[in-house]
Amino acid sequence: MNRLQANLCLLCVTLCWSSEVIIFSCIPDDVSAFATTCITSLIGSILLFFGFMKRIISELKRNRNGYIKAGLVLGILNLIYNLMYLIGLNKLDVSTGAFSISMTSVVLPVILLTMRQHVETKTIISAFLILVGIMLAVGTGAESGTSLGFAIMIAGCIIRAFYIVILNKSAREYDPVVLSALLSFIVGIIGFVSWFVSDSTTFASIRWTPTIIACLAIYSYFIVSFAQTLNIYAHKKTSAANATIIYSLEIVFSIIWGISMPSDIVTPVTLSTRIAIGVALIVFGNILVIFERTGRRAVDAN
Amino acid sequence: MRTNIKKAALLIFVYLLIMIPFKVMEIIPGFTDIRPVTMLGPIYALFTGIPGIIIFALMNIVGDIISDSVRWSSIAGLIANFVGPYIVYHYWIKMKKTAPDLKTMKNIGVYSLVVFIAAAVQMAIITPAVAVIYPEVDSMLFALSVILNNTLFPIMFGIPLIILMKEELGYRMIDVISSERKGKRAAGAVPVTEKMERDI
Repeated sequence: MNRLQANLCLLCVTLCWSSEVIIFSCIPDDVSAFATTCITSLIGSILLFFGFMKRIISELKRNRNGYIKAGLVLGILNLIYNLMYLIGLNKLDVSTGAFSISMTSVVLPVILLTMRQHVETKTIISAFLILVGIMLAVGTGAESGTSLGFAIMIAGCIIRAFYIVILNKSAREYDPVVLSALLSFIVGIIGFVSWFVSDSTTFASIRWTPTIIACLAIYSYFIVSFAQTLNIYAHKKTSAANATIIYSLEIVFSIIWGISMPSDIVTPVTLSTRIAIGVALIVFGNILVIFERTGRRAVDAN
Repeated sequence: MRTNIKKAALLIFVYLLIMIPFKVMEIIPGFTDIRPVTMLGPIYALFTGIPGIIIFALMNIVGDIISDSVRWSSIAGLIANFVGPYIVYHYWIKMKKTAPDLKTMKNIGVYSLVVFIAAAVQMAIITPAVAVIYPEVDSMLFALSVILNNTLFPIMFGIPLIILMKEELGYRMIDVISSERKGKRAAGAVPVTEKMERDI
């Protein structure tokens, strides 16, 4: 996989993530977030385990402690930033929430700079364009009394940025399939514990319908098994900062869903000049990163 | 033989795994025909050749049976689901004599164009059949859904999956498998020739 291919894979991952909201719209509200996280992560890890059983077993025999340590660190960081997003979003309106979630792409290059790590000039320009684009497309819209929510969201973004940096490092160090399977398993276990604490009846509390089962199945193989594994593979060949820039396209996909999907599935969006310019800036910022090298150089990088 | 049966079973399993949930649920009310499974068409064609294409076409009928939607137009669906992936296979394996190399934007563009042409041919096969048998169906909307399903999914999800399978997971495309088989046959022929020469 060369860098161009890695960037295209990240684009696909972002598309998968943005479609979460469409898949989840078919799941009743009484099914908790912990339940869906637990079930989909565990099914995802089982699928990966059966698909790559020999590889996973041999890799774990080779370096079990390293994998478990990396999986635990990533799993816990994942839990923390998701919890912060959950708490923060409850205190914010939709647009401010979307704006603050997207801030990771701006926060991460700043963190890398403060850690005195090299960040390409193009990445910094992209991050700036994306920041302006997000401000135009989503709007800061921060109302009075939302500063606590905004602070929690930004803290969540910082933790997510560290998560991405560690994921990027781990992807180069460990086998992505094994890491993905283990990460899913750990997230699933953490999800189960959280689910059990909040509702001890766990699996019995869900009214199992074909639609719920279908939704969970789609989420398990598309978002967990496929997108997560693809994401880790892509991280092997691209930088954390570049990956985060591409993740910012999630807001563009969300706007597209908002314009094209029925209002009972996603929050409807009316296309305005401001949103169009914002989206164009985000896309342009991404083009700078995704297609930064010519084909020949991209092949050379392989 | 056993390996081939295992491979066929795997192709069928993956197809069903992706297809069934989308057949069961109606994600967008009033628009049931979202078919991410179409991304498998070019993948089966490029990684397994004709057997994979046949399985892909037959599984489309199986999908219709599962969702209780077998109609006369399913025959057109069967043909179209064979022809579409076959065009992809024919272009690279028969005409270009090599599987697609998705390492540059140009090659990715060519792949996308071939997929689009295959989707257009599929649309041209299925839509008239549906229009004749079911005049109440909006042919334009149907044609659009065929084109979108057979273009967007093989490009958006198919390209990353091909990259992942070929570049990282080490799956061989059909051109490599064929050349290996030819090599084995050629290698197998040597001792026979030597034996014949010795006999002479």
